[in-house]
Amino acid sequence: MKEILLKTEKLSKAFSNGGAMQHVLKNIDLELYRGDFTVIMGASGAGKSTLLYALSGMDTPTLGVITFGERVISDLSQDGLAVFRREHCGFVFQQIYLIDGMSVMDNVLSAGLLVGGDKKALVRRAKELFAAVGIDEDTQRKFPTQISGGEAQRVGIVRALINSPEILFADEPTGALNSQTGLDVLDTLTRFNERGQSVVMVTHDMRSARRGNRILYLKDGVILGECELGRYVHGDAERHKKLAAFLQDMGW
Amino acid sequence: MGKSLLIARSNLRRARGQAMAIVVLILLAAMMLNLWLMLALDYKANFDRCHDKLNDGHVTMAVDGDTPELRGFLTGTLERDGRAARFRLDSCLYMVANFAYNGGEVNSQMIFLDKGTALSRDIGRAEIVEDGGGSGIYLPMLYKTNEIDVGKSFELSIGSNPVTYTVCGFFNSAMMGSHNCTMMEIILTGDKYEELEALGYAPRAVLCSVRLLDQSESQTFETDLKTAVSDQFPGRRAVSNSYALVTQSRYISQMICSSIVSAMAFFVLLIALIVIASNILNYIQVNMKDLGALKAIGYTSGQLVGALLVQFLGLSLAAAAAGAGLSYALFPGVNVMMIQQTGIPYVVRFLPVPFALTLVILCGASALAVWLAARRIKKIEPITALRAGLSTHNFKRNHIPLDRTSAPLNFALALKTTLSGVKHNVTVCATMLVLSLVVVFSGLMLENMILDIDPFINLVTGETADSCINIDADIEGDFLAAVEADSRVEKIYLYHTGSVSHVGGVELLVTVCDDFGKINNQSVVFEGRFPKFDNEIALAAKYARERGFAIGDEIEITSNGKQASYLISGFTQVANNLGKDCLLTRAGYEKLGVLASTSYYLNLSDELDVDGFNTEIKERFGTDVYAVINIRAVVDGSAGIYVSLMTIIVIAIFVLSALIIAFVLYLLVRTMLNQKSRDYGIMKALGFTTGQLILQTALSFMPAVVVSAAVGLVVCGFIINPLMAVFLGGLGIVKCTFALPLGFIAAAGAGLVLFAFGTLCLLSLRVRKIAPRALLSGE
Repeated sequence: MKEILLKTEKLSKAFSNGGAMQHVLKNIDLELYRGDFTVIMGASGAGKSTLLYALSGMDTPTLGVITFGERVISDLSQDGLAVFRREHCGFVFQQIYLIDGMSVMDNVLSAGLLVGGDKKALVRRAKELFAAVGIDEDTQRKFPTQISGGEAQRVGIVRALINSPEILFADEPTGALNSQTGLDVLDTLTRFNERGQSVVMVTHDMRSARRGNRILYLKDGVILGECELGRYVHGDAERHKKLAAFLQDMGW
Repeated sequence: MGKSLLIARSNLRRARGQAMAIVVLILLAAMMLNLWLMLALDYKANFDRCHDKLNDGHVTMAVDGDTPELRGFLTGTLERDGRAARFRLDSCLYMVANFAYNGGEVNSQMIFLDKGTALSRDIGRAEIVEDGGGSGIYLPMLYKTNEIDVGKSFELSIGSNPVTYTVCGFFNSAMMGSHNCTMMEIILTGDKYEELEALGYAPRAVLCSVRLLDQSESQTFETDLKTAVSDQFPGRRAVSNSYALVTQSRYISQMICSSIVSAMAFFVLLIALIVIASNILNYIQVNMKDLGALKAIGYTSGQLVGALLVQFLGLSLAAAAAGAGLSYALFPGVNVMMIQQTGIPYVVRFLPVPFALTLVILCGASALAVWLAARRIKKIEPITALRAGLSTHNFKRNHIPLDRTSAPLNFALALKTTLSGVKHNVTVCATMLVLSLVVVFSGLMLENMILDIDPFINLVTGETADSCINIDADIEGDFLAAVEADSRVEKIYLYHTGSVSHVGGVELLVTVCDDFGKINNQSVVFEGRFPKFDNEIALAAKYARERGFAIGDEIEITSNGKQASYLISGFTQVANNLGKDCLLTRAGYEKLGVLASTSYYLNLSDELDVDGFNTEIKERFGTDVYAVINIRAVVDGSAGIYVSLMTIIVIAIFVLSALIIAFVLYLLVRTMLNQKSRDYGIMKALGFTTGQLILQTALSFMPAVVVSAAVGLVVCGFIINPLMAVFLGGLGIVKCTFALPLGFIAAAGAGLVLFAFGTLCLLSLRVRKIAPRALLSGE
């Protein structure tokens, strides 16, 4: 029996568009489980990012309830949501979004120190995570403009994981990277997921989606279907076929 | 040019807010600059116009005793002197007199003229500006108040004799229209003039007005004429003034006011230039890619800089013209205030020279600021610019590494921003340094003028006491015995003012004292010491510097046909005679002549009615008391005007300072938030709250605010007195020793810092609008 980490009930989001309401998410009931690598797919405009905003507490729903564990987060204030994000979530962005004026190490520590705790232990954890993603000490002292895109995204992953979040949100994490560095980033995410890290990733790339054990397909603001792929195994051709068939069914 | 205009238009459309901010600052600067230039260039010239209109003399002198010998002597002397173009002698009555004015008392040497004579003199004519008719008195227009007005009763104390007249009207006189002119004209209708002459309260005298071929010789001519008269008629009372003295003394308030306005104008201009430069640097940073693209397609650096020049010069020109125009709306109000000080009518009209100068100064300064800031465009290479100004190898220093600092996170992040924002810090420091000077100046004025006028009065007028009694020298023994026995008198000392001449120099106001150790204001001599012996003199520092005298030098002084040599024992500074005065002991003065009358200063017990005491003395000694003055009331009267003026100035300075600091911080915060909106979005996504980011923004400015305020206040504390001495140099002040209100300055400094912090927090509320979700990829 999987443990429910995050749950939505009748989640709706609408935007005002020239006076008319545009409903982007429509009555979504969803459960996300601890330890899963959940992938949200869909065409452009399907509502993938909007759903990610709402699930991660970056935005508030128009209607519906979002529960994290036993705690309802959908009615938290902006500052309450900020505290929720820092304590429970990690984020990896498509555009990476490291702060240019800070060194690589400071980018990571600025997120870590926000939660507090023992600073020495935090620096130790940052170094362990850097080692795990292959960022050496020289690179840690550099500024984001002095490192490659692949390195920068790996630093983004370290920053996302520095507070040992219960859930890691990744928004098109390979979207701005070339093929090889994109694979490296996916390998990194997969590796952390194998160690128990819950991941929710938005993508429209099938190669990236293959890494997930659960695929949700979103269309016109509703979850049209989902597919269980099981744990990722490198070179598993059946897995690819199964995902392709699912996406074909969904009208991909 | 066409391409530059195109870019300039595009820039203006994109940055309407910044353009408005610069327009407001330039508008303020232009308004004050034009006001200053009008006051400085035309207001004083107005005196010359008035002087010419009334065909007034360059030297005016009144001498006791209207005798044929005196008239003959004056006529002969003036006819022989090739410097005199024309002169005129008239009969008048001349005596020290005083009257209540503006809550205090005006005390001056008054020249009473018959109305017919006063209005018909071809040199030094008076001009009636308000005439109610009837029999009575006409006063200089300076003294028109609610209490002194046409038809009202007016009490005047001539010598020690009170008389009452009905005010018939007011007049304008260039050389004798104010108590600041050394001698002051009073016009009486024919019947009242004859009545006063018959009463004998004011002796008959000759009023001599001389027009010179060269007005720049007025001071030396006055000295020579007065020396000649005193040589020929020793012991005769005489009073005189010169064009040089009157032009300065009637415009002291205007000089102070215009100096402050000019300081404020340049202060606002400085801020405007900093804002322009800061905007341009920010523009280059934000639009680096666009600039790179424009260069890549063939625009030259000159065209890009030219576009900025066109943009900012256009703004500056429009704002400067509007600001100069706006100053004409303000000028009538200032004019009313100034006329109350100068007593000379001034008609506000359009002045093209100040207007043109305002435009040239502001546009020139703006162009310079634009050119200096925009030079950076020339160094930009298209490829670098297209990378948003980031070179491939752009190694920066990591200030305050978070793994090594022990500072709290928000403070450390704020400090990182501080250390990476040099331009912001420079702007903040420049603003705070200027504001520190404003705070220290305001504190100085508050302490030494508004709350307690004595330090200012001591500096400007020299000595003050409660009462001054002028008596016949023959009764000195009896007078002193009686007064010294009076328990209400705390202190009495001889403090008599007259005039002597420096041989080869000009006339000097001399103060004779029996013991300078007794006087209340021991700081009159600020270098060296008071004269102790009959061969010593203390000389005005301004005059000594002009003539190259040092302490220990000898100076030849003449009066009453006698001449003596004195050693300079010290330097004095008072603004009484615009830096042309000296101090002598009584024994020292008696080498030149005897005192026919003597003035004594008295310190009376607190709460004692000075007027009542003076009346008692007059009643006791009768006609041997020539004049009594309630110094306390005189000081209160003249001080009131300065206190009100300075209070208005200090309040205006504080309000303007608060507006300017808020405005500068607004621009800086807005620029910072524009630059950091991406960073703040990331930080919000990571879990920083809005409050934390507001605190970080505000804190990032605080090191520059606190350090520059502290340094500024300390430095200004040291330089404010020398600066004030420069400021008051024209009045004869060479060294200021105003007490610094350290408590006020510290509190105002802390207030400035807290105000800046509060303003920064308020301005940083825009952080609320930065949404983290904007970072996520759009669908």
